[in-house]
Amino acid sequence: MNSHRIHNPIRNLAAAVFTLAGIAHAEDKVTFATNWKAQAAHGGFYQAVADGTYKKYGLDVTIQQGGPQVNNRPLLPAGRIDFLMTGNLLHSFDNVKNGVPTIVVAAMFQKDPQALIAHPGQGYESFDKLKTAPVALIAKDGQFSWWQWLKVTHGFKDEALKPYNYNLGPFLANPKAIQQGYSVAEPIYVENQGKFKPVVHLLADHGFSTYSTVIEARTDTVKNKPDLVQRFVDASAIGWVNYLYGDRRAANAMMMKDNPEMTPEEIEASVALMKQQGIVDSGEALKGGIGAMSDARIKDFYEQMVKAGLYKPGEVDLSKVATLQFVNKRVGMDIKSKLAK
Amino acid sequence: MGAQLLHRASPALCLVGLLAAWEALVRLAHIPHYTLPAPTLVVRTLIDNFGSLAGSWWFTLQITFGALALAVVGGVLVASVFALSRGLEHALFPLAVVLQVTPVVAIAPLILIYVESTTAALLLCAWIVAFFPILSNTVLGLRAADPNLRDLFRLYRASPWQRLRLLLVPSALPYFVAGLKISGGLSLIGAVTAEMVAGAAGRNTGLASRILEASFRTETPKMFAALLLLVATGVAIFWSFNALSRALLGRWHASEKQ
Amino acid sequence: MPGRAIISLQRVDKRFATGVTALEGVDLHVAEGEFVSLLGPSGCGKSTVLRLVAGLERASSGEVASPALGSNPAADTAFVFQDATLMPWASVFDNVWLPLRLAGESRGDSRQRVLDALHLVGLAGFEAAFPAELSGGMRMRASIARALVTRPRLMLMDEPFAALDEFTRHKLNDDLLACWQAQGFATLFVTHSVLESVFLSERVLVMGARPGRVVAEVVVDEPYPRGAAFRESPRYHAACARLHAVLATLHAPVDEVLR
Repeated sequence: MNSHRIHNPIRNLAAAVFTLAGIAHAEDKVTFATNWKAQAAHGGFYQAVADGTYKKYGLDVTIQQGGPQVNNRPLLPAGRIDFLMTGNLLHSFDNVKNGVPTIVVAAMFQKDPQALIAHPGQGYESFDKLKTAPVALIAKDGQFSWWQWLKVTHGFKDEALKPYNYNLGPFLANPKAIQQGYSVAEPIYVENQGKFKPVVHLLADHGFSTYSTVIEARTDTVKNKPDLVQRFVDASAIGWVNYLYGDRRAANAMMMKDNPEMTPEEIEASVALMKQQGIVDSGEALKGGIGAMSDARIKDFYEQMVKAGLYKPGEVDLSKVATLQFVNKRVGMDIKSKLAK
Repeated sequence: MGAQLLHRASPALCLVGLLAAWEALVRLAHIPHYTLPAPTLVVRTLIDNFGSLAGSWWFTLQITFGALALAVVGGVLVASVFALSRGLEHALFPLAVVLQVTPVVAIAPLILIYVESTTAALLLCAWIVAFFPILSNTVLGLRAADPNLRDLFRLYRASPWQRLRLLLVPSALPYFVAGLKISGGLSLIGAVTAEMVAGAAGRNTGLASRILEASFRTETPKMFAALLLLVATGVAIFWSFNALSRALLGRWHASEKQ
Repeated sequence: MPGRAIISLQRVDKRFATGVTALEGVDLHVAEGEFVSLLGPSGCGKSTVLRLVAGLERASSGEVASPALGSNPAADTAFVFQDATLMPWASVFDNVWLPLRLAGESRGDSRQRVLDALHLVGLAGFEAAFPAELSGGMRMRASIARALVTRPRLMLMDEPFAALDEFTRHKLNDDLLACWQAQGFATLFVTHSVLESVFLSERVLVMGARPGRVVAEVVVDEPYPRGAAFRESPRYHAACARLHAVLATLHAPVDEVLR
């Protein structure tokens, strides 16, 4: 390309004009709501803001945090936000079942980091011993979704269930207790506060095969502004590549500003775990780029949930759950090969 | 005759009018059901789900009235102690005030950490909210006996038990009932708030959990259906305590002679 | 009518904890069946005398003898306050029943005496009513009925009619005298009304204030029953004048109901 520039001034001029036009064209304002306070598991999105990737794709993105008492989900169908991050596909199934017009456009995590953690040396080293725990600390969101699956598929009992309010105290104080967490987050906090390495069981390793950190949009956004959606998905995927394999300090600084309780050590430890456990960049993403999805996998997960009694067969029209039109295009893979030496 | 009928029916007419306006708004503006469901949809959802909602309703009622009963027992006992000993009242009343002003929303998660049983934690939270009005009102009431009547009882050499039964308790009754009316509604609010904030567990979940669940699963009509049950409960509590107040005080206390 | 003393105060002082000396060197006596008024301005301690006699206060020094301080006081002394002091949550019947009830008598056993007392004060038929449903005058009658139900030997009355209108006052004055004549109890009647004290009493004791003490005694030598004619008579006006003269010497503001 360089040689063309040198030898074709008219083309140079045209390119300059188009570039100027692009700059003069106003960026699309976009609000993206997450499902928790800023943490490493949101890193790719913050990266795309911090290093200007969203800007390059003509997007002015505002990231709106979630949190323990915050429920951002109703904001998407209500039109108050443009894109929503959710933790698993169950929410999308529910929306389609209830006629709420939203749709999944990309899946950033190939593996759901949802896990159950336990004290070491208490007999919970094996997954099927977890259901014998006298106390299982599960938060409201989990109670109404994957806990139901655990009960039917793995024999967990409601008697053990205690509400979890995102305070590690009860778990740390009771060696026989188990609690929920993200495999790439809570174990780090437990080690810092409780001074021990907890036993971690990924639900994904035991049949909970959903995608995670999926991006949802309104169906009419997909219909009327597909270009906007494509740019957001692409820039987000590139953000994740840069975050995992490149210089993420600016992104980390942004996240720590949003969530002052995070420390750089915790973030780095979390990123290491994400890579180690293949949360983001594994499976279909290795072939199609970060964000990759397949109908087969969605269908498989749905059938598992039907078996677990969460849905009735045919209750959810799977064609409305996700659209593959924006992913599987190997976006960001060239950058990755340059960074990940 | 017609005017009187209109007067008696006016609250019901008002309510029907509001519901009709709500239904019309939803239909005419094509408001989606997941944003604002129409009243007819809410009622239909309630009927469809009544089986499962009824269980949660019963649980919330148990927490509410359990907490209220404990608040009455605790409030009357402590008020009696305070009425007997000014010194104890002076020493302990600030503690009661602390209990009153600490927002239950803030301490519910803490209580859940310290208390083993989730149900007990919810009861405690609802109790904290309901306790103080009964305590402070009953203390006031036990002091409210007419001094001349006190003298009369002394003159006729009444025993302490007679004094309590025939003078102090009836004198305190209007104040106690006033506290009860307040605490009735508060125990419902406390029960719901505690469950919303701290969460409930497993099979023992009340309407607040059902509202949360419906919210997480984007089942907005169900949220409204559960909310409707809560509102109905609150209204029923209000009316029944008002009726109780009228029954106990109607013939003789200024507050009921309207 | 005069007999042995049913009330006797000798050199009685009363000082309150606040340092106020309510009474100093009070001497008075009331005979069995006698009707005596205590007349004086506000603050002269006449209510305090009543409360000492009732046993509701204790004298700081001196001797107080009264049935209320005796071994079986309950039935013998009755007290009527300026406010009717009825239990608002109880019916008229239950209010009048109270003294008997506190003495351990059941409702059934007391029934006839309660109804008799109500009849005596002109409230027959109102036993089921509640105080809130009665007028001020009727409430005061109920209070008197309660006082009379134990057939007391001594009635202590603390300005009972002060809060009522003139018409009701006169009616109640007449009715009170009728009850007194029928039952023969001694009465110590506190009032700040010269007119009332003269109409009702055999003797009027004038009390002065600061410190409270008995300063004068005026005998009203008029036979009973006394009616409206007495109020118009020269003897009545003369007695009132004598009392006014005494009160004037006290240099104290006289709250008086001059009608």
